[in-house]
This record gives sequence, C-alpha cells and structure tokens, in this order.
Amino acid sequence: MKGVWLVFKKEILEFTKDRKTMFFTLAVPIILYPLLFGMIGKMGQREDQQARSSQTRIALIDPSNVIESLIQARTNDFTLVPAPEDDEKARQAIKDDQLEMLVTLGASAAQDMAEQKTVAVDVLYNRVEKTGRVAMKRLEDALRELNNATVQDRLQKLGASSQLAAPTSIQSRQVGGEELLLAKLLGTMLPYMLMLMLFVGSMQLGIYVTAGERERGTLITLLATGLPRHEIIWGKLLYVFFMGIVNSVINIGAMTFSMGTLFGGREVSDGYAAVAAEEAAQLSGIAAVVDPTVITLTLLLMIPLGLLFSNLIVFLGVQAKNTQEAGTSMMPVVLLVLFLGVFSMAPGIEKMGILPYIPIVNVSLVIRKLFAQQASVMEYLTAFCMTVGLAVLLTYISTKFLNRESAIFKST
Amino acid sequence: MIHVVDIHKTFVVKDKKTRKKKTIDAVKGISFHVKPGEIYGLLGPNGAGKSTTLRMIAGLMEPQSGSITVFDHDAMTASEKVRRCIGFLSTDLGVYGRFTPRELLRIFGEFQGVDPKVAERRGMHMLERLDLTDFADVKMESFSSGQKQKVSIARALLHDPKAVLFDEPTTGLDVLTAKTVLDLLKIMKEEERAVIVSTHVMPMVEQMCDRVGIIFDGKLHGDAPPKEILSQYGVGTLDEVFFKLAADGGVA
Repeated sequence: MKGVWLVFKKEILEFTKDRKTMFFTLAVPIILYPLLFGMIGKMGQREDQQARSSQTRIALIDPSNVIESLIQARTNDFTLVPAPEDDEKARQAIKDDQLEMLVTLGASAAQDMAEQKTVAVDVLYNRVEKTGRVAMKRLEDALRELNNATVQDRLQKLGASSQLAAPTSIQSRQVGGEELLLAKLLGTMLPYMLMLMLFVGSMQLGIYVTAGERERGTLITLLATGLPRHEIIWGKLLYVFFMGIVNSVINIGAMTFSMGTLFGGREVSDGYAAVAAEEAAQLSGIAAVVDPTVITLTLLLMIPLGLLFSNLIVFLGVQAKNTQEAGTSMMPVVLLVLFLGVFSMAPGIEKMGILPYIPIVNVSLVIRKLFAQQASVMEYLTAFCMTVGLAVLLTYISTKFLNRESAIFKST
Repeated sequence: MIHVVDIHKTFVVKDKKTRKKKTIDAVKGISFHVKPGEIYGLLGPNGAGKSTTLRMIAGLMEPQSGSITVFDHDAMTASEKVRRCIGFLSTDLGVYGRFTPRELLRIFGEFQGVDPKVAERRGMHMLERLDLTDFADVKMESFSSGQKQKVSIARALLHDPKAVLFDEPTTGLDVLTAKTVLDLLKIMKEEERAVIVSTHVMPMVEQMCDRVGIIFDGKLHGDAPPKEILSQYGVGTLDEVFFKLAADGGVA
C-alpha cells in the first residue's frame, strides 16, 4: 500500500507546484464568496432602506372618503398623487415607477360601511418590485387598523363584548427556536452544494491526473515503475477524493460564513424588520447554531459520497483518450449530480417513502433531516452503509476495469 | 538475461469506415534472448511491432501466448518485479513539466523503492553525466526535447536496473544529444546490463549493437550480429535489408 501514498504525495506535490491552480482552487472561494455575498447584501440593504425611507405614492379613488383621511394621516408612509385617467394608464404609471399603487373604492363605500356591509378595496400594484411590496404591506397595516377600530365601534354600539370578534386567540410556544428554522434552511441547501462541490471541485484536478497524464505522455512512465497498477489507480483516487473534500469544506465554509454577512446586512423583509433582524443575528452565528454532532455526522457521510464521486471521475478520466474527451464524458454526470442536488432541495421530498433506499438521494435526505433534527439512527445508517457499499463496489469495479490493458493504452 | 519465446499480441480495433471491430496481429511469434553486457537492436519500420514487443517485455502489456522472463522473473505473473529490474524509456517525451529534474528523480526513485537520499545522489550523478547539472532545479516545462530525453534517461536508470529497454532513444534529438545517448548505451554495456534498443536509425545499430533482430509486419527476421544479417541478405547496409524485406513483403 506504500505505492498509494507515494502516488498521492506526487499528485499533491504536482498540485502545489502550480500556483495558479492552487490559487483558484483554494483561495478564490475564500475571497469570492464573502465578496459576492457581501455585494448582494449591500445591494439588498440599500434597496430595503430606499423602500422604507421613501413614501409610497398612492393614487386613491375614494369618492365617499372611507380611507382617504386615514391615508392622509399616515404622512410617513403615504403621499397622495393624482389618479391616472384609466386603469391602463395606472398600470403604465406603476411600471414607469411614477406611483406605487392605485387604490379604488366604490361610490357607495361609505354607505355600505354604514350598513355594515363588506367594502371592497381594489388595489393595483407591482408585487415584483420591493417598493410595491412595501406599499401593499403599509396599506394592509392601515386597513387592519381601520377594521379593528370599526369592529370595536360596532360591538360597542351593540353593547357586546370586545371579545366577540375574537373567539380564539393563539398563544404559540415553539419547540425549536429560530435557529432550528435556519438550520433547516441550511440543511436544505447543503446537500446540493455538497454534491456539487464534491464532484465539480475535483473534476478538473481528476482529469489532469488521468486523461491529462495520458495526453502529456507521462502515464506510461508511471506505469513502467515497480508500483502495482492498482496502487497507482488508488493513489490517484485518494488524491481526487482528498481534493474533493478539501474543496467542499472550503467552499461550504466560505459560503456559510458569507451567508451570515448577506443576511446580517439586511434589516427588513417585507416590513417585518424585527423578525429580519432576529434572523440576521441567527444567521451571523450560523456556525454556533449547528450542532457539532450534526457537522460530524455530515462530514462522515461526505467520505463515502466523495469516494463514490472520485471513482466516477478517475474511471471516466482514465477511459478518455484526452482531456477534452474526459471533460465531455463527465458533463452528463455533472448534470446528474446537479439534478439530484436540486431534487433533494424540493419541498416535502422527505415524506417520500422510497427515497431512503435510493443511493445518493438518501444522503441528501439524511443531511436535511440531520439539520432539522429529525433524522433517525436507522435512516442515517441505511444511507451511510448504502453509500459505503456503493463506493467500495465502484472502487472494485473501476480498479478491475482500469487494470485492463485496453483501458490504459489508448492513443491520444 | 532476457528470454522472449514465441510471443503473440493481437489488438482489437474499430474500422472507421465499416464501424466494425477487427483484430490486428501486431506481434506474430517473436523469440530472442539478450545477455547481460549485450546491446540488442530491434529494428523495424513504424508500426512493425517494436514498441509493443518492448512493452510486453517491460510487463506493461501481456502477450496472448508465449513467454517472457527477465532475470528469472516472469513478465506476466511477476510484472512488478520485472519492472523493478528494468529501466524503460518510452517513445513519448512526456515529462512532468511542473517538476524540476531533481524532484522528478527523487519521486521516481521512491516509486522504484530507492531510498530518497540514494535517489537524490544517483540522480545528481546521472544529471552530471548527461550534462544537466545546471538545470537540476529548473522546472521542466521549459525544457527542449533533448533535455527532456536526458531527464527521461536519468529517470529510467535511477534504480540501477539490470536490464534497459530504450524505445527510439535518439528520435528527434540533435547530433550532440544523440551522441550523449549512444555513449551512455556503451557505458551500460560495460556495466554488464542487458540492453534492448528499438530504432529505425540504421547507422546507430551497425555501430552499437552486438546483435539485431529485424521486425517486419510483426515477425522477426534474422537474429544475429549486424554483419551476419548483411551477408545473410547479400547487401551492404541494413537500410538495403529493409528495402529488400519491404519488396518481398517480409517473406525473405
């Protein structure tokens, strides 16, 4: 087995000799993620602030003056602008950012209100824009206030208790705190990122040490040494596996840290400033949120998964005549990995009974459940053992296959 | 001692026109022996089967039938032992461009089971012998073909092999570098190594080889000292032997 270590050492040394590759593999994620997420965070923060600090321009058609005085009283939130001539022009004005919303009440609104009928409030706004969502939230708040006051007034006139309009009242107590919600969110995204990084992160390096060696004419010099062929393959396998793990840890670490920066910078989410601030605080300390046991169990799952992926990379790399062919042959696998990753992010997927028995997908599922503190020992062991079994089987098959002369001697 | 007895090798290839698989007999029953202190020249045109024969002797490929033993090790059942006592130089001039010669020799020394310190000492001695000392710590990606070949030779001889297989060692080299390689072959002969050189450079064979075997269409024609071959074919140069074989379709 000494040969495995020697080949691994040689590959690592060769990797460290190329500063560019080393920089792009190891340093770029550490720089890029905080930069990228920081920029997105800043932009989001600026958008939030702009939306909150500016008044909502509202065009109001309220002939019987049911809500006009209410809107006018909220000077911090609204400014009244003349109503466009028709609905089409109002739509265009909203699209052109000349106003945020058109609110229309019928001519008989005041009378309906007096007769205790429900008054329809027609609202035209752009939900796609942040300013539109803030406008809607402000209007809902204003109307809620009006509704409450009206109901209380009516109850008083009827001589009824103010509790008549509120037969129930929810007093919620949470089993998991906000941190569990966030851990669950992380658990949904993590399997996807993990799979992607494990495969894509080591793919190019894997191609370099397999098809690349063949293309550069160095593979035969390696095979002509006294090292057993399977040890050469395992050495390369170990290198691809190791780089996949390193890549994943660096990328996911940098991403998790940067996510804290992203959410930490945001102060408002559709007006729920307090909740957003709480979320931000939780996400900033995401590392502390996640249980070390969960992290350890996730890392343990990465080992067989990484081995499985590195087997695929080495297998396809040695099979290819050159680096171009290797890259092309790996694309369908990248797409499959992407698909499985996205599939594992789908909501409600954890309820599908068959999934714990589907390789790779079950790893995603268990990671999701681990972060949501819902995974059972049986589920974890099933996913772990199945992945280990598959990785060992694939190692055996690829070693057997790659030991063949026809796999090694191909013309470039 | 290298014993090659009646080896056959067949490749399955795909015909690009018909898209059907067909078999090609690359080596058809070749036998020869090489003693320590002997340089054996394997001659033949491109595609004759020289490289395949050398790869089979080096334990990199397996013959379909026949046997190969290298210093009492069977090339099929003990290929790793065979490779440890063989210095193999491939036609490919591929070197690890990111490494310096010193690093490469240390790494390959370890691959061949040589102590790193010994590998370093031997490597530097080889580089000195090949006039590459000044380039010992320069990355090989900028090396010329000749420099790459010299490093490859140093790598092949680093573990002090009893047998040496050089596949086209002077192809693409300038006259001076080619002479260095030829001088080294003479030294290896003096050091009692069994040397097999495959080439199609005839003057080199006439000058260097104790015996030659001409491979043509996968078969060995003649297995004798160069002069005997010439008299056997009744010609003055090995080039003429080649032309004659080509004209007779390898039947002579």
